[in-house]
Amino acid sequence: MQSKLYDVVVIGSGAGGGTLSARLASLGADVLVLEGGPKIDTFTDFNTHGLPFEFPYRHVPLMRAGKPGFDGERSRGLGGKTQLWNAVSLRFSQRDFKGRDHDGAGENWPVDYADIAPYYDRIEREVGVCGNYDHLEDLPDGVFLPPAPMKCTDLAIKKGAATLGVNVIHVRKATLTRKSQTRPACHFCGNCMSGCDVAAKYNSLNVHMLPALATGKLTLQHNSIVYDVAVSDEARVKEVRYFDRETRAEGVARGRSVVVACACAQSVALLLMSKSSRFATGLGNSSGELGRNFIPHITAGFEVFLEDFIGKAPTDDQGFLDHAYIPSFMHTKKRDYARSFGVQFNYQNHRMAGWARSLPGMGKNYKEAVKARYPAYMVFTGYHEMLPNRESYIDIDANDLDTYGLPKPRRYWKLGGSDQKLHEDMVRSCRAILDASKAQIHSAAPQPVTNHEVGGCRMGDDPKTSVVDRFCRSHDVPNLYVVDASVFPSSSEKNPTLTIMALAARTADHIAERLQKREI
Amino acid sequence: MSTYSTDRRSLLRIIGSIGATCAFPFASEDLYGQTAEHQHGSSAPASPLPHFFHERDFKTIARIADLIIPATDTPGASGAGVPEYIDALVARNTDHQLVVADGLRWLDAEAQRTGQKPFLELSEDQQLAIFEPLCTAYDANRENPARNVQFFGLIKNLTADGYYTSRIGLMDELKYQGNKILSSYPECH
Repeated sequence: MQSKLYDVVVIGSGAGGGTLSARLASLGADVLVLEGGPKIDTFTDFNTHGLPFEFPYRHVPLMRAGKPGFDGERSRGLGGKTQLWNAVSLRFSQRDFKGRDHDGAGENWPVDYADIAPYYDRIEREVGVCGNYDHLEDLPDGVFLPPAPMKCTDLAIKKGAATLGVNVIHVRKATLTRKSQTRPACHFCGNCMSGCDVAAKYNSLNVHMLPALATGKLTLQHNSIVYDVAVSDEARVKEVRYFDRETRAEGVARGRSVVVACACAQSVALLLMSKSSRFATGLGNSSGELGRNFIPHITAGFEVFLEDFIGKAPTDDQGFLDHAYIPSFMHTKKRDYARSFGVQFNYQNHRMAGWARSLPGMGKNYKEAVKARYPAYMVFTGYHEMLPNRESYIDIDANDLDTYGLPKPRRYWKLGGSDQKLHEDMVRSCRAILDASKAQIHSAAPQPVTNHEVGGCRMGDDPKTSVVDRFCRSHDVPNLYVVDASVFPSSSEKNPTLTIMALAARTADHIAERLQKREI
Repeated sequence: MSTYSTDRRSLLRIIGSIGATCAFPFASEDLYGQTAEHQHGSSAPASPLPHFFHERDFKTIARIADLIIPATDTPGASGAGVPEYIDALVARNTDHQLVVADGLRWLDAEAQRTGQKPFLELSEDQQLAIFEPLCTAYDANRENPARNVQFFGLIKNLTADGYYTSRIGLMDELKYQGNKILSSYPECH
């Protein structure tokens, strides 16, 4: 007997897959979500409030004893990385979508801000984003809940930055500062990235998928690791092949359309693995661009001690980690590089003081120095965009297999000349802001470090230079979609998740429309 | 085009780690260096402590830890269970074990050379006179320390990690205030 034919099979349950599947189910489509990791109960499975001395080796395990989850890239759990993210939610601006028009570098998106804005509106209403209306040209305002007050330590940075003409704003996060009909407000425990056990912080499981189960149209299938997306002779996806994470039993899922939403590098890896006589170098790769244009965010991090807070009594200022943000401010400046940076800071969790070992000295003076600096400790990290180049890409290593016997994705990246100038200006600016804020630099990252992964399945109008079209649909396979940050033609310096969700919502509407017209 | 990364292997290691958790740089959620320890040994807690150090060596390690973090108005390293923490971690890490074995052997000889007594029988001043120069050397160069400096550095790092993750270190000494349920976030005054 053939397995059920769903309208849509979604591979991955994070920001992209969760948003899209809930929307499609609410529009009446039959949706199956395949998640590689286990079932997660957000309220009981995480060690959200654990403290290090409660565990034998002082490392707070993410999951409670006996609870599986988040043990690898292919096997996280329902909700994916939204269970662990820091919830920073920033809209891309028109300049972010059309960067090439402004500085002649990189690629434009095939869509404008106006195309995406209604979906930002919808997503912000659904997930609850707090923030201040700042009226910035390069960081559009959204539909906001009230911001949380800045920390005293944020105000020190704000004051210092102001002397340089640099603006510090309230952070914008998908964390509730007021309770909603279904979720409580944040209780400011500071353990957001350890799994929010009340779902005041957005996660796709509790906010999107579980409520959508009420439609009767959504099926969540966990422990299902997809290894092949198979196409028919007519270049249409005919089935999705997976195995069970625990038993390794093989399974097949069938859908009129298939959405790959495995988080950037894993989506690229799955498509590269899905080879066939039609697509010998990977599914939907007639352009040869699959895996190329990998443009992760590049960071420069600092650990600092704010002089004004050294020796002060510690306060309960954990909040929901960072409460402030330094938005991109260099667009109006004359400069010799493309694109820009923003700064996230004060997101450290004070339940660990891992920096203590790197403070010099020993004895009573050392002990006093650690204690005095504890309330003054802050992390401060600039994030910048990088331009695509031919030496930055994702591929898979057939000789390096993960615990499931599947090839691991490999990431390569290299900064171009403009990127390096941008990086150097970011480091210089960060140091100037820290100096003006009377912050002693304790340590600085010795080299650029990547963070949010972006690119690999570039979106574009030209099938020769891009992998998916403006609705995230494969140019080669008309019933195959990709919804995650892999489709971004440029990364902006802004965190990608809100834009992943907005694109997923837009693609959901597009798929629903095509299903209705019986085009799929 | 040029690159900051000199070798592809180190580049891959850096970037290979981001997919799993999307960790922030410097999030301080993990103790530096614990990842290695987790990879070396089994994850099961071992038998009653100490289970790696001989009795006298355990006392020596405890004494060094107390020189690094002494008792003040709060207990010092040994009062906070740091020697037991060091024992547990060294028991699981063969690299640490070699450094410690070399270090203890060196310390025996150094104590005899400078004070003509076993280390534990030296006065506090004599003990500090052995370790303070190592501390200075370690602070000056943490990249390629001499073997005895490496020994001190290892014990200092484990002492700091163990102390500030203990209940005494985190709650009583540093006075960690977070992890509470607040009805609203206070304005800064």
